[in-house]
Amino acid sequence: MRADDGWLAVALVPLLALVPVLWRVSRGAPEDRLIAQNLSSLLGGLALLPAAQGFGRPAYVDVALVLSVLGPTGTLIYARFLGVLPGSRLVRRTALLGVPAIVLPLCVAAGPGRAMAKLLLIGALLIAGSVVTGAGGGRGRKAAADGGRTA
Amino acid sequence: MSGVLEVLAWWLVLTGVWLVLISTVDSLEVMVGAAAALPTALVARAARRVVTGR
Repeated sequence: MRADDGWLAVALVPLLALVPVLWRVSRGAPEDRLIAQNLSSLLGGLALLPAAQGFGRPAYVDVALVLSVLGPTGTLIYARFLGVLPGSRLVRRTALLGVPAIVLPLCVAAGPGRAMAKLLLIGALLIAGSVVTGAGGGRGRKAAADGGRTA
Repeated sequence: MSGVLEVLAWWLVLTGVWLVLISTVDSLEVMVGAAAALPTALVARAARRVVTGR
């Protein structure tokens, strides 16, 4: 097995994990579906990073970067519509375990330089986004944070 | 004074992010990034003040 195939095999793990998550996005209570949507963007980012290495296409890393910024933002926007940000230990744990497990080997492969800094930035964004959106916030907390500005 | 320092800190961070994310580093890219980071740093400080309420 060549090294490229190894990276593609790594990319398959979050990609296959997306199957039940996407199923969950389409079923159940809105809060659970929002958590699944949040998890899907995290898994998408985690699949794209090793895929970029495996296919030799650095442009895929840019897609992961966009996903790491817009995924949590989208979750927060939907949470605003729902009036509640459902907390999820699964999202936080997936980020805290999965992101270092995938980003750190990629950093070793990239070697010191701007490519490594970019990978670390994306990893930090994925973790920060998942920790913030996975922490949750109830209706009361949200109302207090808004200062009563929204209806 | 603290405001100037904060904008300077934002400018440094944003310029650094720009330098990491562009594909090729040359003088034109650096100039465009540094110039674009300045108004963005002002907006970042304004946004931070709105969020923290100070």
